[in-house]
Amino acid sequence: MKTIDYLKNLKLIAFLFAALTIVSCSNDDDVPPEENEVEVITDVTLVFTNDADATDVVRASAQDPDGEGIQELMVEDEITLSADTQYTLTFEIFNNLETPGEDIGEEIVDEDDEHQIFFSFTADAFDSPLGNGNIDNASDPINYNDEDSDSQDGSGNPVGLNTTWTTPSTGTTGGTFTVKLQHQPDIKTGTTGANDGDTDFDLTFVLNIQ
Amino acid sequence: MKHMLLMSFFILAFTYVAIAQQDPCSFTISGKVLDAESKQPVPYATVKVSDTEKYDLTNEDGEFTISGLCSDTNTLIISCLGYSNATTDHHHEHGSHPHFFLTQKVTGLAEVTIEAQKSKEKGTETISQVTLTKADIASDPTQSLAAALADEQGVTFTSAGANVQLPVIHGLYGNRILILNNGLKHGFQNWGSDHAPEIDITSANRITVIKGASGVRFGPEALGGAVIVESNPLNLNNPFFGNVATGYQTNGQGYNANMEFGSGSSNWSYFLNGNYTRIGDREAPDYNLTNSGKEEKSFGLGVLHHREHWDFNIRYSFVDQKLALLRTSIASSPGAFIRAINADEPIIINPFSYDINQPNQTTQHHLAKAEVNWWYSDEGKLTLRGGVQLNQRDEFDVRRNAELPIIDLDLITYDYQLEWKHPKWCGLDGLVGVQYFSQNNDNNPGTGTTPFIPNYNTDRFSAFAIESLKFGANTLEAGLRFDFESNDVRGRETNQDIFRDDYSFTNLTASLGYVRQLSDNATFRTNFGTAWRTPNMAELFSFGQHGFKNTFGLLRFTDENGQLSTDEVIPLDESNVDPERGYKLINEFQSNKNGNQHNLTVYTHYIENYIFDRPIGVFGTIRGPMPAFIYDQANALFLGMDYSWRKELTNNISGTFGFSYLYSRNIGESEPLINQPPVATSLEFQWDQGGFWVFDGSKWAIRPSYTFQQFQAPRTVTPEELVNGTAIITPDSEIFDFIDAPEGYFLLDLSWNFEWKNLSGGIAVNNLLNTSYRDYLNEMRYFADEPGRNILFTLNYSFNAKK
Repeated sequence: MKTIDYLKNLKLIAFLFAALTIVSCSNDDDVPPEENEVEVITDVTLVFTNDADATDVVRASAQDPDGEGIQELMVEDEITLSADTQYTLTFEIFNNLETPGEDIGEEIVDEDDEHQIFFSFTADAFDSPLGNGNIDNASDPINYNDEDSDSQDGSGNPVGLNTTWTTPSTGTTGGTFTVKLQHQPDIKTGTTGANDGDTDFDLTFVLNIQ
Repeated sequence: MKHMLLMSFFILAFTYVAIAQQDPCSFTISGKVLDAESKQPVPYATVKVSDTEKYDLTNEDGEFTISGLCSDTNTLIISCLGYSNATTDHHHEHGSHPHFFLTQKVTGLAEVTIEAQKSKEKGTETISQVTLTKADIASDPTQSLAAALADEQGVTFTSAGANVQLPVIHGLYGNRILILNNGLKHGFQNWGSDHAPEIDITSANRITVIKGASGVRFGPEALGGAVIVESNPLNLNNPFFGNVATGYQTNGQGYNANMEFGSGSSNWSYFLNGNYTRIGDREAPDYNLTNSGKEEKSFGLGVLHHREHWDFNIRYSFVDQKLALLRTSIASSPGAFIRAINADEPIIINPFSYDINQPNQTTQHHLAKAEVNWWYSDEGKLTLRGGVQLNQRDEFDVRRNAELPIIDLDLITYDYQLEWKHPKWCGLDGLVGVQYFSQNNDNNPGTGTTPFIPNYNTDRFSAFAIESLKFGANTLEAGLRFDFESNDVRGRETNQDIFRDDYSFTNLTASLGYVRQLSDNATFRTNFGTAWRTPNMAELFSFGQHGFKNTFGLLRFTDENGQLSTDEVIPLDESNVDPERGYKLINEFQSNKNGNQHNLTVYTHYIENYIFDRPIGVFGTIRGPMPAFIYDQANALFLGMDYSWRKELTNNISGTFGFSYLYSRNIGESEPLINQPPVATSLEFQWDQGGFWVFDGSKWAIRPSYTFQQFQAPRTVTPEELVNGTAIITPDSEIFDFIDAPEGYFLLDLSWNFEWKNLSGGIAVNNLLNTSYRDYLNEMRYFADEPGRNILFTLNYSFNAKK
């Protein structure tokens, strides 16, 4: 009688623990999956091309070689433009942590309805646009040459990957030129400004016009 | 053959112990019945064993003895004129001579169920501890586990906003506080101050906080203490009971519903419970705390099968949480972090909503457990416990791919424990156990970012023995534990190269404690415990941006002449990272005399290689200046005291004064530590009004409290000073913070609880004066005030089927 009870108890124990025991025997050695880093931008280059002479190109770069790492951002060049000249500004935006480097500019073109580049510069440094740029006030003039396809408010809104800049005859030394790419998913309209959404880059260069 | 297969899973120890041949009806219960408030013996109370005709009257000293019982598990019904009836579950675990407490009917609510005073967990008898009962918990069903404990002296919580809160005991939190969920170490992403245990407090029946190092009993994570959460005790001979409750709170327009029911026959018992809570954006006095809501669902069940000398018990619980984190904590640009911490009001304030947007965390936690208890003799017991937990966590940040989780982890935890409570041997009462614990953490694909935490497997084998010796009014308790832990880590660097690390630790932990019953009304206990803890994965390997900051683990950066580099991952063996070692001496003096109840706890805790995270600066990124934090190690000293004094002012009005003080310091560098609890004091008056109008019972409480400014906060170095280079910081620089510690604040809480027939309920007002304040232990203190006034209404319907 006791023995039967005893076996019954043991069977209950086995029933309770068998399931747990079986699953626990799987010790793995798997590695985290390789991720295609979508966040990181390591290199941004501003390319000013003289509209009158396509060989006259001024480039200024900023680089954060270790991405999320703690290394400081390096702004490598000053922007030095010629006086009395009209330039078109375009961008090269890369993540060079990956090999080969990933062109983030393409991603921004694909998501142009979610992105806008804003600018600010030493007041009246340019003949066109006038003023100090649209970071402080989104409606201030900037000569955007591109617009997105289907923004939230339906109308084509500026993106900023292609802009026009006309330098005056008077020079500037040691001025500043700031470019700020805002990511504005689901919120970008004709009136959203440089503090709406999230910042993808925010870079300030020294501006010289001579 | 089939049987043979199943039997191969047994632990062989069972078969070696013979069952003592016993007359089936030879069990005896004896105990002592005391008044719950005065702790004086209650003479002439009737103690009856449910479902039998056996009973006894207590003698002058409140003692009773009932013999000739046929079961070792009984439900006792204790009644006495002028007192509420108490139904209590008696088990061998209550010790050979348990104490039962009765509540006076005139001062108590009509239907109070009193539990037998449960003996303290073995190995913690000499450590200061407090217990919260179901009634304490039910008064605020929407709060977190940590917030429920925070009224206790020496216990507070650290948080990342209103939803993510984790307990702090004597200045220590996170991986140093073990959360024991129904006998198993709660297996969750326990790192940083932004990961709270996924435990639904409405399912808890009792919560015990152990304030000393209890690593011998529970394992390395109990270096700073332990929080023991127990759900329904699964009483036998318990008529069908049910409990349905609902609540509404004004702040966040939150609502809650929970239920529990169960029943126990002579050899079966079960319970089922469930809970749903939803809270929208909370409100600070001056603005909306955008994205601070939560949604929580939970479900639990337990079944107990009792056979002669045997208990078989299974439990399952499931918690699903969706917790919003304050939107304004993630600045739109790193540069805006500086703007945000300098602003009086949050940068982002939107109208009220229940929506939970980024940043947020979603977690599903499953816990399944089986336990077998075998009373193989009158005093000896074997316990086999096994559990599996699955914790699935997704965290979302505000970022370019916000719809992708930035953290997506599955953590599986296995836990097996075999414990032997041996019969008295040479006067020694003890518990001996072996444990195997394993965790497997995996990153799921699709985060679009380098994993913040690597994949890892941890295996730990442990053995412990705890013995106590009683002589006269003295109890001596000593414990020893051995742990061997091995870790296998696989992670990725930012260029997606794989790194691996393998390391193991072996350690011995010891504790020694002493309790002396000084008189009938006074007790002194002291405990010295050593503890160790391996650095956890986040402390070692965390890398990069999460939330508002960039964090670098101990193995993720190198310091060359003050120049930080995060280019390589250092293998642990080649680093100078050492496990934490703690030495804690804790003394408690309790006295209860003439309506004055004093409780004084004084402690000293020295931790070698204490690991903490600290701001290290603001560094330039393509996106703008970003705050960075690193993990660091220091030799830290914690000295503190908790004091409470409860005085019966009249028969039904009592006042309780509480004060806790903690001094902490990095004594290696002679500088203050960061994120340590400030000095706090509180006063609580309770008026037990008894019945009035239609109500059978009514209780009022008012609780003013004052929390001081943290006077030991580290120096302040503003982000502007860091950006413009006026302050140069290296890992060797003195600890600093980005802003000053918030000012001290006064809060006033008020509550009223009633009972009417089967209904009970209450109205609680927290922060009655709608004070604007910031809490030093809340990571969100950089960005926003704490929530303002909250009025919480609760209603509870409970029934007990009469047999």
